[in-house]
Amino acid sequence: MDEFTHIPQLTLHLFGFNLVFNTETIMMTWVVMGILIVFGFLATRKISFIPNPFQVVGELFVTAFYDLTSDALDEEMAKKYFPIICSLFMFLLLCNYLGIIPKLSEPTKDLNTPLSLGILGFVIAHYSGIKAKGFKKYAKEYFEPIFFMAPLNIIGELAKVVSISFRLYGNVIGGSIIILVVSHLIYSVALPPFMVVFFGIFVGGIQAFVFTMLTLVYISLQVK
Amino acid sequence: MLNSIAYITASSYLAAGLTIGLGAIGAALGEGYAAGLANESISYKPKMSGELLKNMLVGQAIAESAAIFALVVAILLLFAQPSSGSPIVAWSAIGAGLAMGLAAIGSGIGAGSPAGKACLAIVHQPSEKSRIMTTMLVGSAVCQTPAIFGMVISFLLMFMDFSSAPLYPAGAALLGAGLATGLAAIGSGLGSGLPAGAACLGIARQPKSGDKTMTTMLVGSAVCQTPAIFGIVISFLLIFMDFSSVPPYPGWAALLGAGLATGLAAIGSGVGNGFTAMEAVSGTARNPECNSETNRVMLIGMSVGQSTAIYGFLVSLLLVFTKMEPSTSLTSCLRLLGAGISSGFGGIGPGIGLGIVAASAVRWVARRPSSTVALIRTMLVGMAVTESTAIYALIVALLLLFVL
Amino acid sequence: MDIAGPDFIKGLSFLGAGLAMGFGAIGPGIGEGFAAGKACEAIGRKPEEAGLLTRTMLVGQAVSESTGIYSLVVALLLLFVV
Repeated sequence: MDEFTHIPQLTLHLFGFNLVFNTETIMMTWVVMGILIVFGFLATRKISFIPNPFQVVGELFVTAFYDLTSDALDEEMAKKYFPIICSLFMFLLLCNYLGIIPKLSEPTKDLNTPLSLGILGFVIAHYSGIKAKGFKKYAKEYFEPIFFMAPLNIIGELAKVVSISFRLYGNVIGGSIIILVVSHLIYSVALPPFMVVFFGIFVGGIQAFVFTMLTLVYISLQVK
Repeated sequence: MLNSIAYITASSYLAAGLTIGLGAIGAALGEGYAAGLANESISYKPKMSGELLKNMLVGQAIAESAAIFALVVAILLLFAQPSSGSPIVAWSAIGAGLAMGLAAIGSGIGAGSPAGKACLAIVHQPSEKSRIMTTMLVGSAVCQTPAIFGMVISFLLMFMDFSSAPLYPAGAALLGAGLATGLAAIGSGLGSGLPAGAACLGIARQPKSGDKTMTTMLVGSAVCQTPAIFGIVISFLLIFMDFSSVPPYPGWAALLGAGLATGLAAIGSGVGNGFTAMEAVSGTARNPECNSETNRVMLIGMSVGQSTAIYGFLVSLLLVFTKMEPSTSLTSCLRLLGAGISSGFGGIGPGIGLGIVAASAVRWVARRPSSTVALIRTMLVGMAVTESTAIYALIVALLLLFVL
Repeated sequence: MDIAGPDFIKGLSFLGAGLAMGFGAIGPGIGEGFAAGKACEAIGRKPEEAGLLTRTMLVGQAVSESTGIYSLVVALLLLFVV
C-alpha cells in the first residue's frame, strides 16, 4: 500500500554519472506550466475595459497579491517582488489542484518540488537582504542578542526552509494517504468525494497560500 | 525465542498506535478551542456569522495538519516496515512514533488558539478582517514548525539504515533521540501559538500598528522555536554518533537520559518564552512608539528564560560525551538515567516561572517605558531566584554524573 | 510464558490499537466540551440566535472530531487488517 510514495524514475548513465529523472513529476510540472502559459496568453490578449473571463481571473489574482505584497514591503520594493510572489502562488495552487483530476497526479507529491521552491525563497530572501543591508550588517544580525547564539540563529534560518517545504509536502501526501486508506476501509461507498473536496480543494488552496505568504514574510524580514 | 522480524513488526504496530493516539490530542484541543471562541464571537455580532465561520474553518484546517503529519507517520509504520534487519529497528520505530506523536500535541494546541482569538478580533474590528486572517495564517503556520521537526526526525529514524550499530546502546540512543525532539516540540508548539493570537487581537485593537505588531510576533515566535532546536540538535547527535566509543552497559542509560534531559527541560522554556512573546506583542499593539524597548526587554527575558533548557542541553552533552567504563551493575546504569531525569523534569517548572516573570516585565515596559531600567533590574533578580530550583536539579545531576 | 512469533505481533498490535484510541479520545473530548460550553454561554447572551449558534457549534465539533476519526481508523486497521 505504499505505492503512493513511489515515483516512477528514469535513470540515464552518462559519462560515468547516473542521472535520475522523476518522469511523472517532470511531465506533470510541464502540464502545469503549459496551462499557466496558455492562461496568461488568453488573459492578456486584448486588454479591454470590458474584460473577458480570463482577464477577470487574472486581475483578481494580481490585485489581491499586489495588496498583500505592498502591505508587507514598501511601494517600490513591492513592485519588484510582486511578480515572483504572485506566480509562486498560481503555480502552487495549480499544482495542488492537478491532483484532483483522475488520471493526473500533483507535482508537489514529490519532495523535490516543495524543497526546491523553499530553497528558491531562501536564496531570494538572503540575497535581497545582503544587497539591501550590506554584508557586515547582515552578518552582525546573526550575533544578536548574545554572541554565542550565532549557531542557533543559523540553524533557525535553515529550519525555516525545512519547515515550509515539509509542511506543504506533508499536507499533500497526508491527504492522498487518508483518501486511500478510508476508501479501502469502506469500499469507496460514499465518503471519498467529500474527502477529495476537503483535502484537494480546501487544504491544497490553504497550503499554497501559506507557503506564498511565508516566503513573502521571510523576504520582508530580511529586507527591512 | 523470537526472531527479529517479530520484534520489528510488533514494535512498529505499537509505535503506530502511539503516534496517532498522542498526535490526535493536540489538534482536537486546539480546534475545539477555536470553535468555542468562534461561537462566542458570533454571539456578539450574529450578522457576521458567515465571515466568522469561514475564519474558524481556515484556522482549524491549519491545526489539523499536525494530526495529518501524525497520521502519515502512523500509516508508514503500519505498512512500510522493513522486511529484514537487526532488532535495533524495533527501537527506532518506537522512537519515530514518540517523536511525531509528542510533537503534534504542542503544535495542534498552539495552532488552534490563534484561530479562536482571530474570530474575537474580527468581531471587535470588522474592517480589518482580511489582515487579521492573514496574520492568523502566518502565525499558525510558524507554529507548525515543531511538528515538522518531529516529522523529520521520524522519517530519519524510520528510513535510515541502522543495522551496523550494536543493539545496546544504540537502541536506547534512538529511543532517546525520538523523545528529545518529541518532548521539546511540545513546549515550543504551545508557546509559539500565544504571540500569534495576541497579534490578531492587537491588530484589532490598533490597526495602525500592524507592521510593528507582526514583526514582533515573528521575532518572538522565531526565538520561541529555540528550545525545539535544542531538542533536534540532541536528536541529530544521538542518531549520528559513533556507537563504538560508548560501552553498552552504562551507555544505554546515559544516552536515554540525554534524550530525556533536553526534551523535558525544553517544555518549560518553550511555554515560558511563549508567554513573554505574547505580552510583548500585546504591548506593542497598545503602544507602538516604545517598540524598540519592548523588543529589547522581550529578547533579554527570552534569552534568560531559555537558561533552564540550556542546563538540560548541557547535561545531555555531558551524558553523551563523557567517557565511562563498562560495568553491568545496576547502580552505574541508573545513576546516569537519574541524572538525565533530574535535569529534565527540574527544568519544566522554573522554565514556565521564568517566562511568567519576563512576561510581566515586558507588559509594564510597554505601558510605562520610563521605568524600563528598574523593571529590567527587578526582572533579572526575580529570574535568578526563580531559577534556583533548576540550579538545584543541575547540581544533583552533576553529582550523579561525576561524584557518585 | 512461552511467546511465539505471530502471537507477539498480534498482542502488540492489539496493545497499539488500545493506546491509539485511548489517547486519541482525550483531545476531541476536551475540545468539543469546551466548544459546547462556549455555545451555551453565547446562547445565554443572545437567545434569539440559538439556531445559528447551535449550527456553528456542530460544525466546529465535527472538525474537532476528525482527529478522533483518524485514531479510530488506525485502531481498526490494527485490529482487523494487519
